[in-house]
Amino acid sequence: MAAAGAAVFPYILPSGRLFASSGAQLAEHVVFVLFAGGVRQQESVLQRYLDDSQGVPIAGNIMYNMLEGAPPTQKIVYGTNGSLDGNTPIPKIINTTLEKQGTLFKEVHVDTSGHYAGLNGLVSGNYAATQGLKQKPVYPTIFEYARRHMGLSATQTWFVGNTIGNSVPLLNYSTYPDYGAAFGANFIAPQVTFGAGGQKHMANAKVYHPEEELGPMYRMKYFLDSLALSSGKDVPGIKNTDEEKNDLKNFFKEMYNKTASNSIALPPVRDNADLTTIGYACEVLKWFKPTLTVVNLSAVDGCHGNFTGYLKSLHRADHGVAHLWNYIQTQIPEMAGKTAMVIIPEHGRNDVPNPIIDQNLWYAYDHSDDNSKRIFGMMVGPNIPANLQLGDEANPLGHGCDGVLTIAEILGFKNEVLNAGLTHGDAMSMFDRI
Amino acid sequence: MKKLSIFPAITLSFLLALLVFSGCKPDPEYIYDVNQVEALPADADKTILKTEEQYISVLYANLFQKALSANELVEIKRVIESVGDKETVYEVILSSFMNQPGKIIPSDATMRADLDKFIEETYARFYVRKPTAAEKEWFRNYIQADANISPELVYMSFALSNEYQYY
Repeated sequence: MAAAGAAVFPYILPSGRLFASSGAQLAEHVVFVLFAGGVRQQESVLQRYLDDSQGVPIAGNIMYNMLEGAPPTQKIVYGTNGSLDGNTPIPKIINTTLEKQGTLFKEVHVDTSGHYAGLNGLVSGNYAATQGLKQKPVYPTIFEYARRHMGLSATQTWFVGNTIGNSVPLLNYSTYPDYGAAFGANFIAPQVTFGAGGQKHMANAKVYHPEEELGPMYRMKYFLDSLALSSGKDVPGIKNTDEEKNDLKNFFKEMYNKTASNSIALPPVRDNADLTTIGYACEVLKWFKPTLTVVNLSAVDGCHGNFTGYLKSLHRADHGVAHLWNYIQTQIPEMAGKTAMVIIPEHGRNDVPNPIIDQNLWYAYDHSDDNSKRIFGMMVGPNIPANLQLGDEANPLGHGCDGVLTIAEILGFKNEVLNAGLTHGDAMSMFDRI
Repeated sequence: MKKLSIFPAITLSFLLALLVFSGCKPDPEYIYDVNQVEALPADADKTILKTEEQYISVLYANLFQKALSANELVEIKRVIESVGDKETVYEVILSSFMNQPGKIIPSDATMRADLDKFIEETYARFYVRKPTAAEKEWFRNYIQADANISPELVYMSFALSNEYQYY
């Protein structure tokens, strides 16, 4: 009798999930920055500026919101334009660096040097090496784990992409059985959604009365769908509830208005695409207060053809991340002090340059050799050790697929992800590496 | 004379025999049965999901009775790709179409003057088929019961429905 009484049966929680997640939640919200595009360790964590790339012995830290260290004092090209192109560094946004506020893994190994495999590794914790472009992830993404194991609605998980190219829009859910679209995240690529095309074809949308017009319209649609569904005609993709759809449409309307009035929460400097993406990510956070938000950056990939542009983009990526963190702490009371941020590049860049030289006669870098498999990892927020640096060039610590298990641990469902057994064999939670 | 009398006798005997034997033949055994016919839903012939381009092109043509330009199609497709929830982005784009001049939609008075005709024409326009008796009955009752239902809302429900996504 006692044994029977102790048996555990699955039950449906009010949120719709089976079982409660097993772990304690370390933070209520997570923002995961895919610090992507291919960042060399030499110009980021190692702070060597031109010293380890162009044969110019000038070192310094151009990511001084995220990392401790003094900026370069000569040949400043990464800032905004002053008397010379790029010679005015962007002022710091946060007084205490994220490195001091959180934990930095200074030398992390990643198995891939390709963007899409790297992004897949970040969002699904597995590279799925056989997976090609234009294909959805084959292993569950962090969005699906979060929605399934926390019982989250679609608008509680967001993927803010930098583009609709490079298969980025496919990363909001996988094709894995028992996960998939039913647990996918909402996705926007703000530069397109709220760019010229979006303004032209969506901003002028008619606003219908939710009860008197949309209510009957949906009832007619559901009647029509009852026949279609009986013959198996579902429409693939993520589903928001009618209430969420209405919220989403109101958000779009607000974004078109704010875009037109130039009042999007953009960073102080907003002269590249990543900073635009960051601004709209702030708006998503402010409106929906999601449990999980993933933001993708990529401007540093310009390093294929222009090293000076790469330095500028890296400096701006730091500026954008700092703005995002500062905005959460100062403009969104519901998330301030309750949000963790995880920052990981998808891969690095080469040790040896390609032959392309830029306006400063500096060489460009692609991503294909072993140096491309060196990245860093950072986490900051409640219950995350502060001012902790781990690993170095000689002692790598961490894996490019660690993000999923780290976020799962922060949100309290790490055991569920481990039990699913679908992450890379070397992946661990960053907490377990400390 | 004798030869002539033999032939009728043989003929008569043959006819008698035929009559006797045919009269003894049993009735054929009839078996009544039902042919196996697969009953399919009205939308059964639509099995292929429209691409985003196909959906928008057909939707525009259904509403405006003319083709969408190639440039606009590319622009709209990019916008659709930039939003994860396709149902919502379709709804917003459709709402935007509804705010544009030039769409061809019957007036409320025309709809209510002959509901059966409106329903049949709407099914033909969006689904390229006739409504079933049950569908026609449901829509007739639903529209009659709610004065807020406009032809525009009916068109929206069809344009956003799952069957419309297939061909």
